[in-house]
Amino acid sequence: MSLKPRQVDFNAVWGSLQETVKSVITLGHVPRQIWSDRFSDVYSLCVAHPESMADRLYAETKQYLIDHVALLLIKVQEDGEDNLIKNYYHYWSQYSRGLFYLHLLYWYLNQQHIRMQKPSDAEMIYGSSDANAGEQLEIKELALEVWKNGMITPLGEKLVKLLLETIDKDRSEHTTLIPIEAIQGTITSFVEVQRFKIKGKLKLYQDLFEEPFLDASGEHFKRDAARLLEERDVSLYMEKVITKVDEELARARKFLHASSLTKVSQRCEQHMVAEHLDFLYSECMNMVQGERKRDLSNMYSLLKSLPNALNILVDTVLDHSKCQGLESIGTLQGDNIHVNFVENLLEVYQKYRQQIQEVFSGDQNFMGALDKACSSVINHRPNKGKTPCRSPELLAKYCDTLLKKSSKGISEAEVDEKLRKSITIFKYIDDKDVFQKFYARMLAKRLIHQQTQSMDAEEAMINRLKQACGYEFTSKLHRMFTDMSVSADLNNKFNAFLKDDSIDLGVNFCIYILQAGAWPFGQAIVTPFSLPQQLVKSVQMFETFYYNRFNGRKLTWLHHLCQAELRLGYLKKPYVVTVQTFQMAILLLFETADSLVCKEIRETLLLNADQFQRHAISLVDSKLLLCDSEELTPEAVLRLNMEYTNKRTRFRITAAIQRESPQEVEHTINSVEEDRKLYLQAAIVRIMKSRKVLKHNALIQEVCAQSKVSFAPSIPMIKKCIEALIDRHYMERTQHSSEEYSYIA
Amino acid sequence: MPYQQMDDKSDVDSQKPEKMFTLKKWNAVAMWSWDVECDTCAICRVQVMDACLRCQAESKTDNYGKQECVVVWGECNHSFHYCCMSLWVKQNNRCPLCQQEWSIQRMGK
Ligand SMILES: [Zn+2]
Ligand SMILES: [Zn+2]
Ligand SMILES: [Zn+2]
Repeated sequence: MSLKPRQVDFNAVWGSLQETVKSVITLGHVPRQIWSDRFSDVYSLCVAHPESMADRLYAETKQYLIDHVALLLIKVQEDGEDNLIKNYYHYWSQYSRGLFYLHLLYWYLNQQHIRMQKPSDAEMIYGSSDANAGEQLEIKELALEVWKNGMITPLGEKLVKLLLETIDKDRSEHTTLIPIEAIQGTITSFVEVQRFKIKGKLKLYQDLFEEPFLDASGEHFKRDAARLLEERDVSLYMEKVITKVDEELARARKFLHASSLTKVSQRCEQHMVAEHLDFLYSECMNMVQGERKRDLSNMYSLLKSLPNALNILVDTVLDHSKCQGLESIGTLQGDNIHVNFVENLLEVYQKYRQQIQEVFSGDQNFMGALDKACSSVINHRPNKGKTPCRSPELLAKYCDTLLKKSSKGISEAEVDEKLRKSITIFKYIDDKDVFQKFYARMLAKRLIHQQTQSMDAEEAMINRLKQACGYEFTSKLHRMFTDMSVSADLNNKFNAFLKDDSIDLGVNFCIYILQAGAWPFGQAIVTPFSLPQQLVKSVQMFETFYYNRFNGRKLTWLHHLCQAELRLGYLKKPYVVTVQTFQMAILLLFETADSLVCKEIRETLLLNADQFQRHAISLVDSKLLLCDSEELTPEAVLRLNMEYTNKRTRFRITAAIQRESPQEVEHTINSVEEDRKLYLQAAIVRIMKSRKVLKHNALIQEVCAQSKVSFAPSIPMIKKCIEALIDRHYMERTQHSSEEYSYIA
Repeated sequence: MPYQQMDDKSDVDSQKPEKMFTLKKWNAVAMWSWDVECDTCAICRVQVMDACLRCQAESKTDNYGKQECVVVWGECNHSFHYCCMSLWVKQNNRCPLCQQEWSIQRMGK
């Protein structure tokens, strides 16, 4: 073949080309040689001399296709309505495949002629090129356009009517007379026919088929819902609706274009769920209270995609878990309240948490509801808010029980696990600083009375608190630990000092030195006491040693925390008894007197009534002392029990140690308010230092955000702190506004 | 640990106690604080045993409870946080409580 442009006889060439076009579009056999000859015919027509015949070729081809499709339209309808879909699909499959070969045959026309005049993509999108009727299309697109106009336009509505009937039959009888592929192929031909469009590819499919389909389906869903509702059984109804949605989705997958799937399930949910919410909600409470997991999970899956439909279910779960939580801690009694409190709450928490995972796929709405429920249970104030919340104290006591030596029969790993879980409760506590106070007081006692089970466990717990609330929250607790190690060092140095100067104290002495402020003991609890002669030298020597080493410090002896070991030599067997200093002082008085009147003892030792009572009673209860009357009245007479026996040669008088002094509790509670003020002032200074200038509201907001980890501050308290700092020139109001502050360095 | 665990029992059995009571061991507890007339620093209104307000605001740099914020006494015997006083004297070299000229008598240690 020659590539040179030459004169061509259009009619002759088109005559043979048309024969081949017919074979190609009907998938007939085309020998290789014929194919390449016709291929060059297309070329020669396009480059014909003196003038290209491409436009004429295009026009003739278009007309040929129009005639061909008109012929097919007759053939499709030949066998009546029953065979309409089948026939349509048959000719569509043939035509839609054939047009691709045709497109190849017209390669040169497409490539060199049509593409050249095609508008750019930008013009297609922003201009109105689609509407340009005179525009030439590539052959494959042209063929589809011809099919749309010649076949779908006249036949579309009838096809859709038949399709809807067929699908309806599939719904009721789960079978169709027409092969599935014919139904599916017919439906997707409405998409296929538009496939080369740049915009609105799905429009024909949607307008012609999808919309009538969804409307018809909607009517079907309404009828189905009405039928199912007659049984008045929510559980059953939900089961059936879920099955129905699944079925409809499977059907849509079988027949429709993928873009219709969510529309189908939405329509189904609208008519079967959204329009019957009240019916579903009527059983909500019973399902939640009865913990009917399958029902709840069904309800969740039906409601989750409807806007706001879950709220009622979420609220019901919130109320129920809150009631369960309050009930679990409502009637606690006895010595183990703190253990029951924490463990019962954890049980309720774990149960609902697991339920939410299992039944509600861990949905955040429900997790949020559980958080709210826990928070209101844990911060609940009984008696309409008049009784203070005991959670901080009970939780601290729970930790204390676990960290104390006495927690026997429980492994270190179990202790660790329980402490780890207790953080769950801790995180819900609003007044974390109150917890910190109680925790500090109990930690102090564990450290001073050497009741700590394991330093590792103590440290791990403090790290957990630090992680939850930040460094500041635990800094005082850390200072207590520091004092412990500083004291160990001081004891060594003091012993060396005694050795150097050959001093004998007459007693094995050791001491803890606590830094005031870091420990939860106020100065106020120091009561008068006349120190027994045997201890005076120890105190004097240590003070000499200590004041030599440090400048500007003073020591206050906390006798109520001191302990002594006393050997009893007046009994049949020698015993060694560990007592508190006040108990020791009482006992030592009997070295020089056989019997003593209570009043006398108190006056000699300068003990206050409360101190005397507590310690004397513990000695009488332990039978080391005998009393001539039931009550320790000022006139009661005490004497040593010379017949005292004990199976053990070493023992401890413990009763008085464990009693909580009311002053201590009061001190703990009072100090919270003071600490909050200081905390807020430090926070304000910190914020102002980094921000330099800040508006009032922004400052309040940031202070609240920072203190949230420890407590919820009251706005008036923050305002007072701001005023106090302005008075002391840490910050000032700016010149522009009284609502704006600046930091003074 | 400063406390010894209970000794072996030899001392119970062997020694002959001639006295009714023998004090074997005393585990004392004492609290130290700055020897000041007033617990509160008049400049920042925080207890002198605690770090001053500015130091507390920067608590993140204060590592593991080491008290770097010490107390200072003037010749007039009034006492303040050293941090607070050193800022104060830049403005006014007088004691904020008695208006005497400020000179340091001693520092806490
Ligand atoms: Zn200060
Ligand atoms: Zn400071
Ligand atoms: Zn002064």
